[in-house]
Amino acid sequence: MTAVATELYDYAVIRKFSVMAIVYGVVGFLVGVIIALELTFPGLNADIPYISFGRLRPLHTSAVIFAFGGSVLFATSYYVVQRTCRARLFSDFLSNFTFWGWNLVVVAVVITYPLGLTQGKEYAEPIWPIDLLITVVWVAYFINFVGTLARRKEPHIYVANWFYLAFIITVALLHIVNNLAIPINMTDSYSIYAGVQDAMIQWWYGHNAVGFFLTAAFLGLMYYFIPKQAERPVYSYRLSIVHFWALVFLYIWAGPHHLHYTALPDWASTLGATFSIMLLLPSWGGMINGIMTLSGAWHKLRTDPILRFLIVSLSFYGMSTFEGPMMSIKSVNALSHYTDWTVGHVHSGALGWVAMVSFGALYHMIPKLWHTRIHSVALINLHFWLATIGVVLYIVAMWISGIMQGLMWRAYDQFGNLTYSFAETVAAMHPYYLIRSLGGIVFLIGALVMVYNISLTIKNSARVPA
Amino acid sequence: MATQPRDQKKQDQQPGDVSTTGHQWDNDEGYPLQEYNNPLPKWWLYTFYATIVYAIVYWVLYPAWPLANGFTKGLLASSMYQELAQEEAAAKATRQPLEKQLADLSLEEIARNNNMLQFAMSSGKAVFGDNCAPCHGTGGVGAQAKGFPILVDDDWLYGGTLAAIQESITNGRNGQMPAHLQTAGGNLSVEQVNDLTQFVLSLSQRANDSVSAQRGRLLFSGEASCHSCHGDHGKGSLLDTVGGQPLDHGIGAPNLTDKIWLHGGDVETIRTSIAKGRSGQMPAWGGPGGRLSPLDIKAVTLYVHTLGGGQKK
Repeated sequence: MTAVATELYDYAVIRKFSVMAIVYGVVGFLVGVIIALELTFPGLNADIPYISFGRLRPLHTSAVIFAFGGSVLFATSYYVVQRTCRARLFSDFLSNFTFWGWNLVVVAVVITYPLGLTQGKEYAEPIWPIDLLITVVWVAYFINFVGTLARRKEPHIYVANWFYLAFIITVALLHIVNNLAIPINMTDSYSIYAGVQDAMIQWWYGHNAVGFFLTAAFLGLMYYFIPKQAERPVYSYRLSIVHFWALVFLYIWAGPHHLHYTALPDWASTLGATFSIMLLLPSWGGMINGIMTLSGAWHKLRTDPILRFLIVSLSFYGMSTFEGPMMSIKSVNALSHYTDWTVGHVHSGALGWVAMVSFGALYHMIPKLWHTRIHSVALINLHFWLATIGVVLYIVAMWISGIMQGLMWRAYDQFGNLTYSFAETVAAMHPYYLIRSLGGIVFLIGALVMVYNISLTIKNSARVPA
Repeated sequence: MATQPRDQKKQDQQPGDVSTTGHQWDNDEGYPLQEYNNPLPKWWLYTFYATIVYAIVYWVLYPAWPLANGFTKGLLASSMYQELAQEEAAAKATRQPLEKQLADLSLEEIARNNNMLQFAMSSGKAVFGDNCAPCHGTGGVGAQAKGFPILVDDDWLYGGTLAAIQESITNGRNGQMPAHLQTAGGNLSVEQVNDLTQFVLSLSQRANDSVSAQRGRLLFSGEASCHSCHGDHGKGSLLDTVGGQPLDHGIGAPNLTDKIWLHGGDVETIRTSIAKGRSGQMPAWGGPGGRLSPLDIKAVTLYVHTLGGGQKK
């Protein structure tokens, strides 16, 4: 069986992407801890521009979303599409091209951001030559994925692949439209949009980077790894279809909720808020389908820490996809916008959902890729608890800090004067910044436990049979 | 009886209770991916419908859909610009009479009018927090390490009356203590600086080398000319005199006899102050190009005056 599988499927590129996912995960979490500490103790940047918060913050977000998350998605989509199509990846050349191309993008980002070379668009910071490279790699990814679907030996396309394909197509569209710019030299360019249109395009991109990169794609991952790990059929085929189409249709409209109470017209704000509200149940469809897959097999949660990672990630997913629509309502947004509440919201999704579902998938997939057994199930369990405690510390600290910050900003006395100066609000946030840093450190330690566990798994794979 | 089997099914759903779609994928491990034919959960479907109804109601009430020419205004015809204008108008209605009085009344009159003083304190605190606190600290506690004066005590450099405080804020202050050590551009030797340091310690009755301090006393009113700013008795430009004549209050030379220090009162810091000099800049916040309006300055003057050490005259 294994021999056949090795011959049929291209596991080599998946192994490479899996290893890089873990490397980038640790680097991304580490940079996150550093900038969390810089916010707590501003002197830590030692006045060195290359490690100042403003330059490391985009490095952190890009490292975790695109380097870590991207590598997880390349690895798992290549794994899932091959196994559910019973077909080898379309082209070995394209597989390797996407691997080396994507890593070249990451290297270019790691060099340019600390030097201060960015185009200043959140989550789309790379300068135009890197944007072109991303486009080429992404088109190669699309061809490779669709080509594999086309040569499938199964009559039906498994649900996970719909989500992966929606992710690949939409991210291509988002990336190209948001980065249309006129270069003026090798490092600088001007966006072709101006003013509020530029802001609207940017947040159409930014919100759907969350929607399609961090939600749809990882739902695809979830649709493969939860039923596989639980050894149970997916709860409802019909729910998977309805929530897939509802999700991809509704998500694309929600971007304006990032621009409430700005130069954006009222009508666009309304559409952004209402589509975000309608998005709640389609988002939850994935959570229901994943969690209900365990119906009748709940006992497995007691013994299987991989399944625990996958199911708890869905709980965090459910929490943040409830919180998101709530925060898109204008009156709630008036309190939450520009505060740490947003940061907490993002991290309950990013750490609780994306990172934890990725850990679960990597723990499931890596032993299969190396035809071996995991080195230690107990260490997976330890990682699970460290990750969970880290996330909870992080998001609770940011909820308190963010709501306090929002309330302090808007507090005024009977004469209409602000009660607190900005500096007082910053001072009030200090203890929560410390707790947030601590949460990040605990989460990072968990990731290091994974590095140890996976390293030994791979190292011993030659002599430990599956 | 009707619910029992349903609950039972929910808890112990086994393959076979509900049929799968019949599709299968990836049987490599002997357990294929399959999908049950479960219907949409009812609560999920109805809540989804409810959010759609909510959205439609919202669209009817508020501006929502772009049209070829403009957009649908909604029954409430609300607009955030309108909301802002209304809130600003309401705030203005409260503040305008108070601001007019703040402008018309003198500082002393406001200080005697309890209601107006409250308004000035409230506005002054906000102005202080955004503009003054970065140097003088929240609440005016000062920062000795950088020579930013404490504003909560009654030890003033340029005067603690309302008029003096207003002048300090409006036009700024420039406190210059020259360097006295030869190598720093002054005219004193290292020994002479040490002698002066001992004398300064003696001025506030602190432990000192009396022989050295005696030599320092002669320098203070002689070669070093300290008395020309700090006064014959070292009580500073506000309180002291030189040869019976009062000093210019704009000099801002600190009182050396009161154990309150602008830059620090340990031996090393005093020695450094004498040897290398000090330079203190309070920016001008008023006038053309200043960041604060005359009203802001009035309010923050009253706020600082009430912090603890405001003087009547």
